[in-house]
Amino acid sequence: MSSEPDGPEEFDRPRADPDAGPCGYTEYETKERTTEEVPATGEGAEGLEREVWAALYEVEDPEMPVSVVDLGLIYGLELDDGEATIDMTLTYSGCPARELILDDVAEAAESVDGVDEAEVRLVWAPDWSLDLVTEQGKEALREFGISVER
Amino acid sequence: MAATDADLGAPDELSEREREAVEAQLFRLADDEYVQAERYTFWQVRAPTLESDLAVANNAQDELGHARLWYDAIQQLGYSEESLLWESEPDDFQHSTLVELPFSEGDWGDAILRGYLYDVAEEIRLAALEESSYEAIRNRTSRIQGEEDYHVEHAQNWLRRMADDEEASRRVQAALDRLYPYALTLFEPVGEVHGDGDDAVAGVEDDIVDLGIRDATLDEMRAEWAERTTAFLTDLGFEVPEDAEPVTPTGRDNEHTEHWHDLHEEMVSSYRNLGRHEATTLMDDE
Repeated sequence: MSSEPDGPEEFDRPRADPDAGPCGYTEYETKERTTEEVPATGEGAEGLEREVWAALYEVEDPEMPVSVVDLGLIYGLELDDGEATIDMTLTYSGCPARELILDDVAEAAESVDGVDEAEVRLVWAPDWSLDLVTEQGKEALREFGISVER
Repeated sequence: MAATDADLGAPDELSEREREAVEAQLFRLADDEYVQAERYTFWQVRAPTLESDLAVANNAQDELGHARLWYDAIQQLGYSEESLLWESEPDDFQHSTLVELPFSEGDWGDAILRGYLYDVAEEIRLAALEESSYEAIRNRTSRIQGEEDYHVEHAQNWLRRMADDEEASRRVQAALDRLYPYALTLFEPVGEVHGDGDDAVAGVEDDIVDLGIRDATLDEMRAEWAERTTAFLTDLGFEVPEDAEPVTPTGRDNEHTEHWHDLHEEMVSSYRNLGRHEATTLMDDE
């Protein structure tokens, strides 16, 4: 019969959906925020404060090669006479790496000349979600193989 | 409903009455989550499939995380991890007896139904705490709600599937008959009850609502819970016990079943046997 396909190229196949996002089964849950008070990213910081921010940017999440600052976990940094106070949150309340991350952040701040002591305060409000990740953080997550909304 | 916009202030600014009410709310939040998590871990390597094993392990981790958030808030009031957990006595705890019951081997229907009854109550309770007058409660609620959503969905999906199978529905129905009176203890009062019968009043429960710590009474929350769970379960063909009464002990009254005494012993035995005097962590420097 002449209607039969001649070669393999003639058969119908499933085609990629041209409108598909990075992952068809992922719901991107983000918050509508009324204020942009968090995260803190060190934008416009100068002098010693800028050096502390530079140290914090070096701290990676223990499970992913992404800076904790780029993940939007740092909510505030205050410097007072050699004492640094850092407010930060975690992506998950049951985070098994909790102590590890808090220690890394305190150590990074204390590594800066001019900071004698750092206190890291764990806070849970405002609630963290993906929208707090910086553009650089989203890029790093994608490079690591995690699907992040553009 | 006697919610107030007033903020009770920091832990050290509470009056004695306020502090007592805040603690009464916090302890049941922490203890319920902690013991529910502990029992969930029974299913690790025992759940019917690898997927369900992972799902329940994840629920357990969520609940442990939430217990930690609540215990942190309690520690702000001057308690230590040692006194709260490792050096505690079984009757220091106020969790509902629902969460302390052991599972019979292979009784997956019990685990799912229990999770369902508990997690719907948890959703209702968290909603009533969103505008709490105590900041440490208000602040934690949104984070926890985001992680709890999945729990109810997970239980409902399983219940729908089990309702389609004769043997599975028989087990779910048996669990419902058995667990329902225990689930009702989730809405029982803590603290001393004055008077009896219809005139019974638990002073601290009234304070919790009067001070705006929670904006729904136990009766209101129980009514909402009964309506939601009955509608869902009836629709699946299950028979919800009518006129059930909460069992005693309720757990909220610091009295528990023998099962909790056994589980508590298991939880604190390492600390005791190793002769510890303070809690340690995996990353301990010392």
